[in-house]
Amino acid sequence: MRRRDFLKTTIAGAAGVSLLGMPFTAEAAQRITLTILHTNDQHSRIDLFPDDGRKYGGMGGMARRATLIEQIRKEEPNVLLFDSGDIWQGTPYFNFFGGELEYKLMSQMKYDAATLGNHDFDNGLEGLEKMLPHARFPFLSANYDFSNTILQNRFAPYKVFEKQSIKIGVFGLGIELAGLVSQNNYGETLYLDPLDTAREMVQELRQNQQCNLVVCLSHLGYKYDDGKIDDVTLARQVEGIDLILGGHTHTFLDQPEVVRHASGHETLVNQVGWSGIFLGRLDFSFSKKTRQKTGVRTAAVPVNRPVTTS
Amino acid sequence: MNNHFSKVLTVLALSLSMAGCQRPWAASPSLGTTDVPVDKTLSADPQLEAQISPYREEVTQKMSEVVGTAPVALVKGEYESPLGNFVVDLQLAQAEPLYKKPIDLSLTTNGGLRVPLPEGEITTGNIFELMPFENELVVLTLKGETVKQLFDYAAEKKFAPIGNATYTVQNGKATNIRINGKPFDMGRTYTLVTSDYLAGGGDNLNMLKDAVQTERLGLLLREAILQQIRQLAAAGKPVTAETGKRVTILP
Repeated sequence: MRRRDFLKTTIAGAAGVSLLGMPFTAEAAQRITLTILHTNDQHSRIDLFPDDGRKYGGMGGMARRATLIEQIRKEEPNVLLFDSGDIWQGTPYFNFFGGELEYKLMSQMKYDAATLGNHDFDNGLEGLEKMLPHARFPFLSANYDFSNTILQNRFAPYKVFEKQSIKIGVFGLGIELAGLVSQNNYGETLYLDPLDTAREMVQELRQNQQCNLVVCLSHLGYKYDDGKIDDVTLARQVEGIDLILGGHTHTFLDQPEVVRHASGHETLVNQVGWSGIFLGRLDFSFSKKTRQKTGVRTAAVPVNRPVTTS
Repeated sequence: MNNHFSKVLTVLALSLSMAGCQRPWAASPSLGTTDVPVDKTLSADPQLEAQISPYREEVTQKMSEVVGTAPVALVKGEYESPLGNFVVDLQLAQAEPLYKKPIDLSLTTNGGLRVPLPEGEITTGNIFELMPFENELVVLTLKGETVKQLFDYAAEKKFAPIGNATYTVQNGKATNIRINGKPFDMGRTYTLVTSDYLAGGGDNLNMLKDAVQTERLGLLLREAILQQIRQLAAAGKPVTAETGKRVTILP
């Protein structure tokens, strides 16, 4: 399986090289690569699943993930690390410490941003406020209006990152809280339409902020049958997002879903299950000259090998 | 690192010739799997391990905290059981102060109660094993006909303990239903405390989706169980189940 992916990716990459008619190194010199790593629905899974024969037994673990991320940071020049919500709830670590350790460990791993999932409201707005000082990364939330709550002005709708002159605009979208979270816990937080909000974000990030890549951290969920807004609907109905990193539905995708718009612009939707069993990885390349996105690879080549010390 | 690079080059060279004749170049993304497994080939980062360690010790210690004592084990069973009765009764006891009104009925299912409560000292860990799910208590308002369907379900399936009610099972149906000591009245509504999981139709309790009102209490079932046991211990009482006859089975 891994080997097949390896070959598939390499073949496509090689075909690109041969068409350009450039030697490998010269072509590489013309481009900037950006590695996006992501998690979703970590659910307070600090320790790995017990290796007792259960599904995913022996997998996960935040200290191991840190090793993997550190390794990728050593190999790649430009790395961004994101989470799509539901960091909390699921193990006694959350029940006893209220999410403190989760935020501390994510800060150590140098997460660049996260968005809020429904379970991140499980200790109410007060519980969230109390833990925010432990997070040295921003929570991005564009469609929750916290104006009438104790969390007003605590969350930006988006953040622009710059890596070797490439501007990456990242915004966050959350799921409707009513019916999913006790109102005691979200109080007067208002839920705004995710599609309208996303259109505004794309306009802002593309036109005003001149971003070369637009990423949405979403906790809407991958796909629903009942017409509820999901990541696939978002990808189809809002043009201009390059990548939607999703959560909530704990979906394991073998590869990202590609939504192609009439203009030719493509939106990728990805999600990596839950509990930190996997780390998601996408490698984008950009032309150094135009700063335009020239390709994306989701190859597992450099990372899916055992850690060696050599 | 060098070794890895030369390996990549070899594969690149190999695939160049293959690609030339087989795969036309397209401008769409090359999609392999995006998931990098976090598995045993990775060693734990020592810095993070050091940070986790004191928390882990505290979790272990708290999970072994004794919250109460049971003179006999509380086990599951058909229709009514010590464990089933204990849980439906505590759901009422813990929910009513939050709901601020008496609640007519309480429901759980044996599937949701994962393990019995052991005889002797009961630890926090025991409660996490009994109720590992993050289920929240909700109060449903049900029409009389829905309540009847619920009792018929309980009579047929045998695994759905109901609190604050008695009934008789006859030919697989519930008869002689009494709620809070009074005969069941099809013409009125009743309130029911249960988990959000069952309220959403879990365990095929589809009739609960017909609730005319759903109110969340913001209290996890596990938390309710822990509170009940702590309150009993604080009052010097053991963890026992009420054993009055609730379900009569006619041959």
